[in-house]
Amino acid sequence: MSDRRLLLFNLLRGLAAILLALAVATIFIFLSSDEPLTALKYLLVGPVVSFKATGNVFNTVSFLTILAAMIPTIFSGLAVCVMFSANQFNLGGEGAIMLGGFVGALLGIYLHLNTGLHQVVCVLAGAIAGGLIMLIPAVLKVKLGASEMVTSLMMNYVVMFVILHFLNFVFADRTKGATQTFPILETAKIPEIVANGTKLTWGFVVALVFVVIIALFMYRTKWGYAIRMIGINQSFAQYSGMQVGAVIILSQVIGGLLSGMGGSIEVLGRYNTFLWRELPGYGWLGITIAILAKNNPIFVPFAAFFIAYLNKGCDLMATYSDVPSEMIDIIQAAIFLFFAAEQFLAKYRQKIVVRNAQRDLALQEAYADQGDLALPNVAGSQGGSIS
Amino acid sequence: MIGDLLLSIFNTDFLFSVIRITAPILFAAMGAVIAEKAGVVNIGLEGIMMISALFGALIGYWTQSWLVGVLGAVVVGILLALLIGFFAFKMKTDIILGGIAVNMLGAGGTIFLLYMFTGMKGNTGALVTRDLLIPTVNIPLVQSIPFLGQVLSGHSVLTYLAFLFVWLIWVILYKTPLGLNIRAVGENPNAATSIGVSVEKIQYIAIAFSGALAGLGGAFMSMYYSQGWNSGMVAGRGFIALAAQAMGRGEPLGTMLSSLLFGFAQALRTKVSGMQGVSSYLVSVIPYLVTIIGLVLYAISTMNKLKKRQVAAKGAE
Repeated sequence: MSDRRLLLFNLLRGLAAILLALAVATIFIFLSSDEPLTALKYLLVGPVVSFKATGNVFNTVSFLTILAAMIPTIFSGLAVCVMFSANQFNLGGEGAIMLGGFVGALLGIYLHLNTGLHQVVCVLAGAIAGGLIMLIPAVLKVKLGASEMVTSLMMNYVVMFVILHFLNFVFADRTKGATQTFPILETAKIPEIVANGTKLTWGFVVALVFVVIIALFMYRTKWGYAIRMIGINQSFAQYSGMQVGAVIILSQVIGGLLSGMGGSIEVLGRYNTFLWRELPGYGWLGITIAILAKNNPIFVPFAAFFIAYLNKGCDLMATYSDVPSEMIDIIQAAIFLFFAAEQFLAKYRQKIVVRNAQRDLALQEAYADQGDLALPNVAGSQGGSIS
Repeated sequence: MIGDLLLSIFNTDFLFSVIRITAPILFAAMGAVIAEKAGVVNIGLEGIMMISALFGALIGYWTQSWLVGVLGAVVVGILLALLIGFFAFKMKTDIILGGIAVNMLGAGGTIFLLYMFTGMKGNTGALVTRDLLIPTVNIPLVQSIPFLGQVLSGHSVLTYLAFLFVWLIWVILYKTPLGLNIRAVGENPNAATSIGVSVEKIQYIAIAFSGALAGLGGAFMSMYYSQGWNSGMVAGRGFIALAAQAMGRGEPLGTMLSSLLFGFAQALRTKVSGMQGVSSYLVSVIPYLVTIIGLVLYAISTMNKLKKRQVAAKGAE
């Protein structure tokens, strides 16, 4: 029972953090806009409602585009979940996503295979490219103790500029005005689930499948257990005989694989050519999502939906009112700070824990008075309180 | 031919630009040094630079005074650092996440704020006029020395300040009681607590220092280097500063040398990318690649030292 109350508390606490962030956003909107109510309307309900003269209706197409926007961020969110669970602050998701997208696109352009096989080959190659590039910060960390955070940040820029070089000087389609590759072959494109232009491709299904796979991996396998244990207490993991170095490398390579896969699926599903001219930003979004999901893969799709919804809301707000879409960054930063704050509303949690303990003690005394020595559920409820 | 190339690169102009490019990185790197000494990882330097660069330019414009602008940037830098500190120390947000949050504010929030205050999008355009730029100084005597004068004289006030801070930070860290406390807190917070040092207070002071320095770096960028604020201006310098700190072993002098190395790499990039037949993109990789290589070399040398020590310890047995 107390477990449930704490879970409820954690949910409410998350909700409070989000509401607080939205309140901060509202203040900024009122400060900056001449039409704050219009702006708020588009930010909060615009993504799923179309406002018509005849009345407001649920906007299915818009809803599906939000789902479509979740595809790369589910992957990057999962990647961050795995890496952060092992306490590896690898911020190279950006580079791995861009690289995965680039490799996937190149194979989609120059390789000739039957459709079906073609997509699988491209996506796998993108994933492997992402995994390989993450080996660099991972191995440097384990073998030399170099901070994975700094190396991965620097690596992002290296990856970006090297890709831009190849894009401009090797693979550019010179018949086009803009710098882009030749078109991706139809056989390599990832089709939409329903052909309606929302870009909601089968990649969405793949992403959800990977949510389940990663959740099972993290909570039902030896390796997943090792990753989480190292994140909680590395010394303990080491003394209990885990191969800490190997697991740290594994966590980051998995992060790279997932990022690369997300990048290639996004490029093959959304675009006709490869045209990213800068780091796509999904890696950073992945961090926000992992924080919202408390590093639990199962919550990643919900967090990704929330972020995609907000993103869409901010875009609409920028289109239909005078508030710039960069508002999203302020909201995200506020969510970041409050959501990740362990002490946020901690007093109330303390109260719940204390109340539970007192109730358990009272129960205990009541049983003792009756001469009954069985103490039901006391240990269990206290175990739940500590988390 | 290569001789000509080298001559065209390594002239006074080039060395002058190395110093100019190093300055903002140096400011932020010194911020990283003092924060890390207190055991605080301030990954928000990048965002702090962006935001204080914006406010430096805006405040300078509003007050029509570059000095007030620079001071404003410093104050904004301190406030942002304290914000990270508050969430990290009081609210127990992971400090890396707090830093990332400020970086987000720096990336998108600045564009929003600029629009909110001025209605401009993406850059401050002509707000920062010539009179509002941080002034340059010619050092008497030094400027008349051939070659050296052309390299060392004529920089902005803040450029000299950046290098002065290397010495100042060293003095603070190693010659003052505050510095002793900072180092104690960074090395062993429990021991520091046991002798009555407030860990939290010292960490607030250290992170505030790092914010002030990053603020100066930001002001340097918008009020001198780029002559105005634009959204892509800081371009990873805050992150490079973290790398410089790591490469410089967290010591002021070493960090200055590694900052100069980045300044050199960046200057080389600017120089070479103007040449024919060179891919500007590949050249752009240089500073970042240099960082990674530098980190690796540093890590290897540390490992070797450790190994030697272990071997020596075994021999002594």
